[in-house]
Amino acid sequence: MNTLRIRDLTLGFKGWSGTVEVLHGISLHIGRGERVALVGESGSGKSVTARIVLGLLQSLRSTRLSGLVEFEGRDLSKLSERERHALRGTKMSMIFQDPTSSLNPVYPILTQFHEVLRRADPAINLTGARARAEKALADVSITDPSRALDSYPFQLSGGMNQRVMIAMALANDPSLLIADEPGTALDVTVQAQTLRLMREQVERHGTSVLFISHNLGVVREFADRVYVIYKGRIAEQGPTAALFEDPRHPYTRALLDAVPRITGDGIPEIEDASDAYFAPTEVHEGYGEPEGAA
Amino acid sequence: MRRTFSILLRNPLSLLGLILVSAVVLSAVFADFIAPFPLHRGAVVDFANFNKPPEWPYIFGTDLVGRDLFSRILYAYRISLILGVVVLAIAVPIGVAIGLFAGYLGGWTEYVLMRITDVFLSIPPLVLAMSMMGLLEPTLTNGMIAVTAMWWPWYTRLVYNLARSEKEEGYVLAAEVIGASKLHVMFREILPNCVPSILTKMTLDLGFVILIASSLSFLGLGVQPPTPDLGSMVADGAKYLPDSWWLTVFPGLAILVAVFGFNLIGDALREILGAEQ
Repeated sequence: MNTLRIRDLTLGFKGWSGTVEVLHGISLHIGRGERVALVGESGSGKSVTARIVLGLLQSLRSTRLSGLVEFEGRDLSKLSERERHALRGTKMSMIFQDPTSSLNPVYPILTQFHEVLRRADPAINLTGARARAEKALADVSITDPSRALDSYPFQLSGGMNQRVMIAMALANDPSLLIADEPGTALDVTVQAQTLRLMREQVERHGTSVLFISHNLGVVREFADRVYVIYKGRIAEQGPTAALFEDPRHPYTRALLDAVPRITGDGIPEIEDASDAYFAPTEVHEGYGEPEGAA
Repeated sequence: MRRTFSILLRNPLSLLGLILVSAVVLSAVFADFIAPFPLHRGAVVDFANFNKPPEWPYIFGTDLVGRDLFSRILYAYRISLILGVVVLAIAVPIGVAIGLFAGYLGGWTEYVLMRITDVFLSIPPLVLAMSMMGLLEPTLTNGMIAVTAMWWPWYTRLVYNLARSEKEEGYVLAAEVIGASKLHVMFREILPNCVPSILTKMTLDLGFVILIASSLSFLGLGVQPPTPDLGSMVADGAKYLPDSWWLTVFPGLAILVAVFGFNLIGDALREILGAEQ
């Protein structure tokens, strides 16, 4: 059974001047323990997809949703708000772009860790939380977990905060981790370190990952499979290596050409949104969406 | 906390504020011991010593029925401070809660709550308080109610704007994602981040509440005689200017000292707490 399965998902927001279509029927799936990247430029619909999976958009009155979103075989649209709420923070968790602003500046790390752990185990006390948090922080190579737990987020470096976020996100052993451009706010070396760490950790926990990014270099390092999203449509999907070696959709090719290189001709001129970009999804052989029921 | 205190002491202006405010608070608390004529806060008549210019033992002079002005000012401070503290203690929680709900929940909640707030804000504060006092009996309790009614919308505005910007912060989304309830996000995540601004405004407002309460009693709508009140003392003395200048000048200076002191401290707090963010 797939951890996540999205089928023909369309999303629009109803505003004063009619409905704005954001997603035009996207399909994707993530198998158990699989790391899947969703790549696209700003505004292509990456982050809203994540928010739908988390069930954060469904309660908005302006949202117009259709299509299937299935988490561990359960149709999210058939769950009540309360049941969707129960999944968040326990079976699903998320890591954000800027780790430092994702932690509340007025509480020490321990208090925030305690709140995360309480989602899965409401009876846990501060001592129990401390023991578990120290172990979790040690797992993400924080050398002095006890000191980190007593610190406030602004006293730790961005890299430390990112590790804390990773530890928190995996603390309740979720089956799906959504990483929304993790570490984009960090500098490149720290970003690389924490990504390696995240990779180790999700492998150990057997967590499935939906990795949202516009950074192709990072995606190439991290993901097993890639979906390229462009203006609310999946442009191309396939295994990471094949997609990077043999990009078939014109948008994917443009995206790959846009990666700056040390040698070569520099950044090419890309004609924005030619008609070819709206060509149907390119599917690499054997990497299509599963048919029928999961 | 200790750091805040040492910064306060280093800046001459905030030090002055601290001295003024402590003087006001101490004289209000210990009025019974400091006042040379504690009985003069009530209905005492001493025609032998009426309308005397400042001279020992009446260092601020005496009023038209021979009561010591200095003693009366000390007791008036007590009433002003009680009024200020009670008004803020009621207005701030109400204003903050409404602001949080409106700012965080948005949509119809925001629309309804903020329009109600706007209605209160659109009436000039003194006019609102005066009309309320006109309807009710002019007593200390009703004075507090009237000033509270005009005060909470400012806190709603303040917290509403803060909550709207805090709502976009990463940690709020992070809390929502791990499934925190709306109440938890409002009161445990957003509110603590608004506390510095609320505290600063409260300190500044303590002075202004005293000023407004004095304005009300200046107009005869506040605390009634024989209870001493800075506003009504100024009003009574104003008829005898410039000959009996001490009747107005000393109560007026007393208002100035209190408002000025709280303002200086409020400004200092704003700098300290703002810099910490």
